[in-house]
Amino acid sequence: MKFANLLFLAAPIFAQEAFVLRNVTIHPVTAPEIAGGSISVANGKIVEYGAKVAAAKNVKVIDGKGLHVYPGMINCATLMGISEVTSVRESNDTNEIGEFVPQVRAVIAFNPDSEHVPVTRVNGITSVVTMPASLTEGRGAGGAAQSILRGQAAVVHMDGWNWEDMGINRNAGLLMRFPQIVTARVSAFEGATAAAIPFADAKKIYDAELKKVDNFFDAARRYQTAKLAKAADFKPNVQYEAMLPLLEGKAPLLVPAERERTIREVIAFAKKQKVKLILLDVQKPGKSIDLIKENNIPVVVGKPTNLPLDEDDPYDAAYSLPGQLYKAGIKFAFGTYDNQFARNLPFEAAFAVAYGLPYEAAMKALTIDAAEIFGVGNVTGSLDKGKSADFVVTDGDPLEVKTQVKMLFINGKNVALDNRQTRLYEKYNSRK
Amino acid sequence: MKQFLLFISLAMFSLAQTPVTVAIRNAKLVTISGPVIAKGTVVLRNGLIEEASENATVPDGAWVIEGDGLTVYPGLIDSISNIGIAPPAPTGPVTGAITATALAPPAPPARGPEDRPRTTSWERAADKFRSNDPRIESARNAGFTSAVIFPTTGIFAGQGAVVNLAGDNPSKMIIESPAGQYMTLTGGGGAGGARGFPSSGMGVYAYVRQIFIDLDYYERTKAAYQANPSGKQRPAYDRALEGVKESGRLLMPATSKVEMERVIKLASELKMPFVLYGVHEGYRAASVLKQANASVLISAKWPTRPPTADPEAEEPLRTLELRESAASTPVTLNKEGVKFAFYSDGQTPAEFLKGVRLAVTRGLSHDDAVKAMTLSAAEIHGVSNRLGSIEKGKIANLVVTKGDLLTEKPAIQYVFVDGMHYVPTADGAPTPTAPQGTGRRPR
Repeated sequence: MKFANLLFLAAPIFAQEAFVLRNVTIHPVTAPEIAGGSISVANGKIVEYGAKVAAAKNVKVIDGKGLHVYPGMINCATLMGISEVTSVRESNDTNEIGEFVPQVRAVIAFNPDSEHVPVTRVNGITSVVTMPASLTEGRGAGGAAQSILRGQAAVVHMDGWNWEDMGINRNAGLLMRFPQIVTARVSAFEGATAAAIPFADAKKIYDAELKKVDNFFDAARRYQTAKLAKAADFKPNVQYEAMLPLLEGKAPLLVPAERERTIREVIAFAKKQKVKLILLDVQKPGKSIDLIKENNIPVVVGKPTNLPLDEDDPYDAAYSLPGQLYKAGIKFAFGTYDNQFARNLPFEAAFAVAYGLPYEAAMKALTIDAAEIFGVGNVTGSLDKGKSADFVVTDGDPLEVKTQVKMLFINGKNVALDNRQTRLYEKYNSRK
Repeated sequence: MKQFLLFISLAMFSLAQTPVTVAIRNAKLVTISGPVIAKGTVVLRNGLIEEASENATVPDGAWVIEGDGLTVYPGLIDSISNIGIAPPAPTGPVTGAITATALAPPAPPARGPEDRPRTTSWERAADKFRSNDPRIESARNAGFTSAVIFPTTGIFAGQGAVVNLAGDNPSKMIIESPAGQYMTLTGGGGAGGARGFPSSGMGVYAYVRQIFIDLDYYERTKAAYQANPSGKQRPAYDRALEGVKESGRLLMPATSKVEMERVIKLASELKMPFVLYGVHEGYRAASVLKQANASVLISAKWPTRPPTADPEAEEPLRTLELRESAASTPVTLNKEGVKFAFYSDGQTPAEFLKGVRLAVTRGLSHDDAVKAMTLSAAEIHGVSNRLGSIEKGKIANLVVTKGDLLTEKPAIQYVFVDGMHYVPTADGAPTPTAPQGTGRRPR
């Protein structure tokens, strides 16, 4: 930490400035590691890496003796930049009202000055997926109409002046709350009461909601046809306009689906509507794991340290899920579904490693797989030539809690490692 | 001969309102209070059992029933019922406060214990009892001659009554009143306390404790005032406290072991006899109940998967375990020596007996099961000096069958209530032609 600061002060490196990092062990994730290698960066992009890298004249050389370089990690589910303090309403720009609000874009609401950004990135997280709405809200039965199509997620860099700088994929997918059959009435005080709503009634509500969704998709498709045909009476509509990337297969549908039945139904829905799909927050896939594989649907798992879903689940249900997905050959990434603990992403993945996920697979899930799932595989996620220079320089394994991050580069910029937490640490540490 | 007898008895019932003298001769007597008498005679006179022994003399002029091949049991008692005081329960659980809260009339929300929320402790089932409930006949057809009826809405719902299940005049059907206070203990408010105090479980417990603290103070101030009113402020009359006091026994709900422990702890502070009802998890709490010397009323409505449940819902192991093991509670408690009786929990008599038979398949003996619906029930409700067994001097409530009583289709030949005899209709349902409430069909 101190070392990094000194280095930073002694040799300030500005964004876009070319430099070569020498004497480091390089872990490209997509290729075998290289000890004593170098990595050269120019214009914010990786020029090359390897055992021998020729540096142009007058290029800054940074000595990284004893340090390790890893690609920056991606947290695939956060509310980064749009939610600061969940319990302070003014600081939350999430959960738009309305049943179908696909036109809502998380990226334009991104606050680059969020305190969560520097706190999160110091653990090596150089990009995140920002969701337009939290996953836990809007699951109740009855009551006010809950948003179904909730807006567009974005992949953002964890450094920049504004959202235009930071957004790598401004439309990384359309978040959807898939209708559920809810039979348990949950009270905050008394917990769930068994079968409070008869199944037949719950099914009716579900069917009605699903019908509404189908109708909306049909309307969007008619809009698409009318637009393509340049129909005379064509009238622009932001809602349907926002559906076009989805219908054209350019953006996926992001659907939280915890359990087998939901997963099954969501996959059937996506097939019927012929849209790309990413499953979020899968917790208890059961037999649907084969279905996920069959259809090659990527998954963003939640925190392995989460409690298991049901009281009789094995204690390691959440720990071992990533390992199971890996064994089934499903492409997956990690997301924390929050901001406060988004920084713990590598340590969460480490739990999965302890419970059956190979280490290399965990590193890929944190980097290149995550990038590919969210359509930024050509921009970030590995140390390959031409990609954005997003990497982290550590004194060891980034999944290990004791490891110190010494330097962090986002878009080739050596990003300061101080943040609200280090400031508080210094402040109270210096109290006499 | 038979025809003649039939005629005679017909004439007697239509002419006289007093019960005839009946002798059931040479029948198997399952006395419950003592050993089974393989061949004995029981004599009923004036609504009471005059004799029951191997060699009882048959009085002159008695209607003699030849008991060869017949078995005589004491009439069955449903230990908690709302027969005669409430319409037949709709589908859904009757135990506890779910119904209680659902049926609670809208009232301004209570602010605290001083408003005596959800308390109708002064209400007596005996006062509300009506003899024209068609369920009375169907219960009797199944062998039930008595029921202990309670108002069931509220924390202190009201006072029970032991009633006989035959007659026109409700007053004459009451055997004992009051017979315990029916309580529920769930926080019914919820929704941020919109229904007033107490909305939480702990609030209910605090309220119950408060009532007994208030009762203690109430009695002392009342006694002091009565001793010498002069110069003293008069204490206000409190019907809630009066009602609790006169009920004499508390019926408190407990399904799970932890609830039993909690309720026993609460009840033992209250210095009033208590009985637990529900008790489905008793199979794992036998020692707890034994240690507390608690008597329990077991709901014969065993937990089942709700028919409206989500077919794909994963049920927790503890739910499944309770569902699997609840019916083993009676045999477990019997082994441990815990006194228990069964109650119908809103089920029809046929469903009730089916539930009891399930307990028998889990190892409870037939006669122990009968005991839990006769003598044990009478003992728990404090009427064992009048009901519950075939003994001299007790009320003449009997069921006469061919074969065992607890079979799928028991061949009930006669039912005697207060010495009056009834022949069950074939399907066990009340016949529409019968005048409501009387149901007398002399043989």
